[in-house]
Amino acid sequence: MRAVRGLLVVAGVGFGLWGLWLMRDFTREQLTSEAFWLAGGVVLHDAVLAPVVVAVGYVASRVLPAHWRSATATAFVVWGTLTVAFLPVLSGQGGKPGNDTILGKPYVLSWVVLTLVLVAYAGVGALLRRRQGRSSDMKTLHGSGS
Amino acid sequence: MRLPTVADIERRIPRPDDFDSRARGPELTARVGSALGICFAVCFATGMWSHLQYSTPGWLTLSPNPTQLYRWTQGLHIVSGTAAIPLLLVKLWSVFPRLFIRPERGARALVVEALERVSIAALMGSTFFMLTSGTLNIIGWYPWEFSFRRTHEAVAWVAIGALLVHIGVKLPVIRTALGAPVEHPDHDRDAAAPTRRSVLLAAFAASGLAVVLTAGQTVPWLRRVSAFSVRPGDGPQDLPVNRTAAGAGTAKTALDPAWRLELVAGDRTVSLSRDELLAMPQSTHRLPIACVEGWSRNATWTGVPLRDLLALVGADADTDVVVRSLQTRGAFGSSRVVGNVAEDERTMLALALNGETLDIDHGYPVRLIAPNRPGVFQTKWINRIEVGA
Repeated sequence: MRAVRGLLVVAGVGFGLWGLWLMRDFTREQLTSEAFWLAGGVVLHDAVLAPVVVAVGYVASRVLPAHWRSATATAFVVWGTLTVAFLPVLSGQGGKPGNDTILGKPYVLSWVVLTLVLVAYAGVGALLRRRQGRSSDMKTLHGSGS
Repeated sequence: MRLPTVADIERRIPRPDDFDSRARGPELTARVGSALGICFAVCFATGMWSHLQYSTPGWLTLSPNPTQLYRWTQGLHIVSGTAAIPLLLVKLWSVFPRLFIRPERGARALVVEALERVSIAALMGSTFFMLTSGTLNIIGWYPWEFSFRRTHEAVAWVAIGALLVHIGVKLPVIRTALGAPVEHPDHDRDAAAPTRRSVLLAAFAASGLAVVLTAGQTVPWLRRVSAFSVRPGDGPQDLPVNRTAAGAGTAKTALDPAWRLELVAGDRTVSLSRDELLAMPQSTHRLPIACVEGWSRNATWTGVPLRDLLALVGADADTDVVVRSLQTRGAFGSSRVVGNVAEDERTMLALALNGETLDIDHGYPVRLIAPNRPGVFQTKWINRIEVGA
């Protein structure tokens, strides 16, 4: 495994250096802009998105009734990641003047529908869980009674 | 009152143990990470394949076959990149507490730690860069100063390199984690909490949904389902348009009755009107427009085979040619057709699309259409063909 690991690291460093070599004729302005977009995502994730998600999880685990937690977490993972994935089309930016074959869908409406579907998913999941919980409580009751 | 010391501040910063969700753990990270690695590998390979179409090295001859190849590779490029977004976010969530690991004491340990952190910063920065610049390019928004194509290519090498280093560093952890059951041993101590399995399934579901909800722009039977695809798939003559005639500055010149197609071979020039082109033997083929932005669509094209035009000026069918557009604005105003593509019977100067006279936004009076060719090289509004150039 040592050899494989060494090979991966060496190849990886080589690939990375090749990438840097391809930037050798970029102007200072281009490199500055590139550096901004390279660092921006990391900063935005580590300083904003991740702490917000941790805070949401912390609050949810203490506020939500027990039977809501699991389904809500699943719905939140799907909702949050899809919202990020669809941010470009939701942004209202881009497109080409006089060309309605690009960005020609009601994206915000679709996002609202997606959100409602996932809220419904969490609700149904919570309901099922509560019913399941009750029937297993009953079983425990009967079990201990006999 | 005294000012807080470094130690006071350090005490305030959370430690990895402060994050108490048992859904996190290398068993989850390794599984999401493996899927993510596959997405990145596919995205990288198909992306580099696309770059080879744009700047083909001398040793490589690109074939016009299989007809749908570029459509598949570029469709996969966008699909794998889209699928990666939810996986990346869940993976980063699963390792977020590790950001707060305190550096070990000792010079050697510090150096190793610093190197690993640098490689992870490079990996995160470059993958965010790739996914952001790629998805913004699809919608046609360029809020930056660099060249999209060249920078997207260069940073891709950095990203895949950082990924290889990361796998090399983590290989023992990955192997152990993949061999272990996914669930935390104590997961049922809090039965209501989300489990690793539920987070893993949610990540895969989100990734799959991201694909299904966007891929309709290249997978015809998903068109109605893909509520978030950038290209709904409609357009004049049932085909989307990338650059309109107005956008390319050809709205007037393309309709000029004095328009002629000039075939130039050395000092010999043949000039043809649209009627003269229509009078030549026509051929009809079903060929895709496959755009680098990941949308594609098959259409039925009718026109004059390029090799018949080459015969008119006495050139061999497999001669390299350059086609030039009336276009005055934007890139890709001309393209080179290499000999093996020029001689393919399906490579044509199209005059009609899906049974109607070519729409001006699709390149009226004539456009190039050839099999297995990126959309930007299917030059529209052609007025000049340079033979043997």
